Amino acid sequence: MATETGQQTGGEADQGPFTRWVGSAIRNPAKAYRALFYVALVFFLFTTLFPLYWLLVLAVTPQRNLQDIFLTPNGFNPGVFIEVFETVPFHIYMLNSLLLAVITTAIVLLLASLAGYVFGRLEFPGRAPLMLAILAISYFPPAAFLVPLFRLFTGNVAVAGINSPTWYNTPGAMVMPFSALFMPLSIFILSTFYGQIPEGLEDAARVEGTTRLGALFRVIMPLSAPGVATAGVLTFIAVYNEFFFSFLMNDGQVAQSILGIVSSSNHWAPLLQGVLAFQTQYGSLYNLMAAASIIGVLPVAILVVVAQEKIVSGLTAGALKE
Amino acid sequence: MENLSDAKFAYLLLTPVLLLLGIIALWPLMSTFWTSLHADAAFGAANYGEFIGFENYMAILSGQRDALLTQPFFSLSRPFQSAVTVTLIFAFVSVAFETLIGFGQALVLDQDFSGRRWVRVAIILPWAIPIVIQGMLFFLLFQPTVGFLAGPLQSLGLLSSSPLSSAQDATMIIIVADVWKTSAFMALLILAGLQSIDRSLYDVAQVAGASKWQQFKYITFPLVLPSVLIAVLFRSIQAMRVYGLIETVAGCTVVPSLSCLVVTSWGQRQYGTASALAFLTALVIGIIVSVYIVRFADAESGGF
Repeated sequence: MATETGQQTGGEADQGPFTRWVGSAIRNPAKAYRALFYVALVFFLFTTLFPLYWLLVLAVTPQRNLQDIFLTPNGFNPGVFIEVFETVPFHIYMLNSLLLAVITTAIVLLLASLAGYVFGRLEFPGRAPLMLAILAISYFPPAAFLVPLFRLFTGNVAVAGINSPTWYNTPGAMVMPFSALFMPLSIFILSTFYGQIPEGLEDAARVEGTTRLGALFRVIMPLSAPGVATAGVLTFIAVYNEFFFSFLMNDGQVAQSILGIVSSSNHWAPLLQGVLAFQTQYGSLYNLMAAASIIGVLPVAILVVVAQEKIVSGLTAGALKE
Repeated sequence: MENLSDAKFAYLLLTPVLLLLGIIALWPLMSTFWTSLHADAAFGAANYGEFIGFENYMAILSGQRDALLTQPFFSLSRPFQSAVTVTLIFAFVSVAFETLIGFGQALVLDQDFSGRRWVRVAIILPWAIPIVIQGMLFFLLFQPTVGFLAGPLQSLGLLSSSPLSSAQDATMIIIVADVWKTSAFMALLILAGLQSIDRSLYDVAQVAGASKWQQFKYITFPLVLPSVLIAVLFRSIQAMRVYGLIETVAGCTVVPSLSCLVVTSWGQRQYGTASALAFLTALVIGIIVSVYIVRFADAESGGF
């Protein structure tokens, strides 16, 4: 469009700032590219951030004015962020989610460290096919595991006369699938990092009398701290965002108070069920749905601001080095 | 433990991982396959009926089983209401847009400018948002009473009066939601490809008098193509499993993706059918991936 205008008026130099700018942009294309860059930048910032801003506008709009909300709220009702917790025990859902994410991350980091050490530093028969098999598992749709896993976690699978544990509505039924699902990426990231630690450092630790495992946890792992942090952050976000098993491996019930969180009345329903509770039980309370969503986003938003370098390097390493 | 050979030590350390993946992934896959060879339980406590070989697969593929499913498995006449077609439409359209937008975002992030750190945070942010909240956001945006997007699009004739319960409209909304969230993932993978390009190539091109467009066409694009192809493959695999977003925005009866169909027939205790559907889902993904790899393996090796 800019060039078109330029052709019509390009010759007459003193016709106003826009025409002048177009004229100079034709003589110097770098200027036009710069302008294009800023247009694209503003466009991307607007499309990614505006929906979130709008969610905030919707949240603080009072109940009776919930219509045609666009740029500014029709009224101002910050109390909505307290109402969210009074309507459903949203803090318990959040806490369940955070606990599930922390437990899964701990298990994944421990097991993936062992596997990362093996794949990054040891040569043994079957190494490549085994690595490939582990990666292949993460490409199956979660739906392919649903039918047997549900039977397993509801105590309906018997091995040698012993029934499987009834883990439905407990952390186990979610932490186990999460760990299996998100383990491959962490193994991959950690084996890359552990493989880069010089052989000599491990040998030195061994000469000092450390065991092999001691060398892994006291020398290799601390030296690969950025890699461990990357795997940890990505696993945490993945679990916090997971839908499939979070939705199907519990019945959506939670304890009514913080103290009840370890009792059997807490069915470990995560954030997801808390958000959906507003949609299913309070059909027209759109401002509460928006407020709950904003509160739910906060932990990951903070994590993205703090750890964006780790996220970027982890995602690209996981995908491009295969 | 210290005296074991490398191989024995390796397998010892791998035991917990293999045990976990064995119980949570490998055994369920085999069990799903075994169940898929059995009839649905007619009644009561049984998980499945008698062994019937590949009859479930035949019935699903030939359309005979459609009557027992919430929506048909495959139907060209109603592409937005049958599982295979709507899943492929969703995957193809959303990945195409994500590639374009992701490429644009990557080109922006590749520039040097002040505040780049914060722009990067803003662009990654949607990727980190939980699926349920992404779904809720777009459910609200297109909710006719509160959302500002439904009204104008309806008056343009692009959306029906209740977009969230119309199969075609809801599919479009879900595609928009997916593009919003996952373009950033594409952008990061493509950005990594961009940053691995040797910058001196551009200096040479500039000395030779190449315009910016020529630099893009003859240097940037061919060198970044392998990363783009891999990113597209990753995203397509993920897109074909879509479930949570649909469940939150419109519900599985409105937009019946393949994973949706598995979960709904599982919910109706049709375990044989659900297992066969789950395997067919994996099969559809496997076929698309193989075709893609065969089709683009040449392009990729030619890129370097």
